[in-house]
Amino acid sequence: MNGLFGNDFGGIAATWFAAAATIAVWSYLVGARTVFRLVQYLLAGLATGYLALLAIDEVLVPRLISPLLDDPAAHVALIPAAGLVAVMVGAAWLPARITAPVTGVLVGGIAALALGGAVLGTLLPQIASAILPADAARRSMLDAAAAIGITVLVVLSFTHGTTVGRLSGRATVVGRWLLIGGIGGWLGFLLVSRLALLVDRLAFLLGDWLGLLR
Amino acid sequence: MSESPRPARRKVVTDAVREAAPVLALLVLLALATLLPPDLAGVALRLESADRTRANGMDAAFDRLPERALVLVAFDADLGTYAEIRPVVRAAIADLQGRGARLAMVSFTAEGRALAVAELSRLQRLGGGVEEIADLGFAGAAEAGLIGAIARIVPSEAEGSIVEAIRSRGADLDAFALALVVSGGDLSVRSWVEQVLPRVPDLPIAAIAPTFLEPELAPYLRTGQLRALLATLPEGLAYADGVAAADGGRTASVGAMPMLVGLLVALGLIVQSLMAPLVRQSRPDRWRRIG
Repeated sequence: MNGLFGNDFGGIAATWFAAAATIAVWSYLVGARTVFRLVQYLLAGLATGYLALLAIDEVLVPRLISPLLDDPAAHVALIPAAGLVAVMVGAAWLPARITAPVTGVLVGGIAALALGGAVLGTLLPQIASAILPADAARRSMLDAAAAIGITVLVVLSFTHGTTVGRLSGRATVVGRWLLIGGIGGWLGFLLVSRLALLVDRLAFLLGDWLGLLR
Repeated sequence: MSESPRPARRKVVTDAVREAAPVLALLVLLALATLLPPDLAGVALRLESADRTRANGMDAAFDRLPERALVLVAFDADLGTYAEIRPVVRAAIADLQGRGARLAMVSFTAEGRALAVAELSRLQRLGGGVEEIADLGFAGAAEAGLIGAIARIVPSEAEGSIVEAIRSRGADLDAFALALVVSGGDLSVRSWVEQVLPRVPDLPIAAIAPTFLEPELAPYLRTGQLRALLATLPEGLAYADGVAAADGGRTASVGAMPMLVGLLVALGLIVQSLMAPLVRQSRPDRWRRIG
């Protein structure tokens, strides 16, 4: 039981609605495409409405419009931001020569943010941790040797048809089986994860909705 | 003479039901298994991981918190996978509250905000100390919002004793003793490691994430960029069970019996798909062809 809905009228209505939506989605299994499509439209509509409400109510008004109206002198930096938002809102009607630079600024800013973070937060620390210190313990060396061996075999597995010689051909086969084994192991984890989601929905229907579970 | 539309329609429905019969049978089987007492599955299936390393890591991260610590719960789970981590998230919040931590909740994604509101209202309904959790709302703008929150995380309209405590410590991320990131597909804890950690290196980060994020996040745990990580169902349940055992209570968990049935069905399908071609054709070169 997910416990997200209360026992008041609103909670009961929400439970019935969620149960109906779950069954409507599952109706796709028996070929009820129209019902499924309606639920998809409902989700898209609700998500759009919710996002618009959130963007206006919690971002645009309190963080952009209100500060600009209340004290524009103290928030000069927000003026170009308001301009960017205005151009994006009118993107469908404005010529490309106006919207393209704005889109470029947005995409460039996001890319710079992501790239800088990836280098500083992931690449450099991961490289630093991967470099073994001179006095590394034997186990670390063995781990590293095993990692290098497996990596080489898996990389070799991608050279299907281009390997020369019996030894490299066999290494390719081993690499491919290692790859399949790795993917299989990972799919096992995902199977448990997805099964848990399905079981949760069933528990919701049987417990929260029908009250059969205690 | 053309066939009347009604029998044709009935045939389409019958065909669809026949086609869906295996899936419907699986649903019925899982539903029946859900109704059985969960203890029946205990002998054959243990969902929680026997290896408690990750669960102990989360415990250790919480143990290191000072008394009445300010903890930021960054709630950015997504609707598709939240059900998987829900018991763990609830256990972690209960654990932190039990340790006397002062919690503040913020979201940087729209789905995370919806789920955070639902969890806050659930705690309010249960009377589970929701007055102890400050709602810092929705910061928006994903990674850009995350960077903006480093300098200012408290909205001007927010109020309450915890909010005042955060304001008195600068109203920025440095005010917190720990950030517990509830991760989802839209904005994972990876963004925290990449964007926040280089700017606030002293902020310890712990994370709860759905299984699909595990390979992406595990390296950060090894480098120490994450203090703790629970990213698969078994290790999450190991932690949640530990919290429940310590409290003497019972954690809402995933039904073991339907999981067992589901896994057995999956195993049966795998064996069937492997054996069928072997039995039918018994061509040894088929195996070699995979390699």
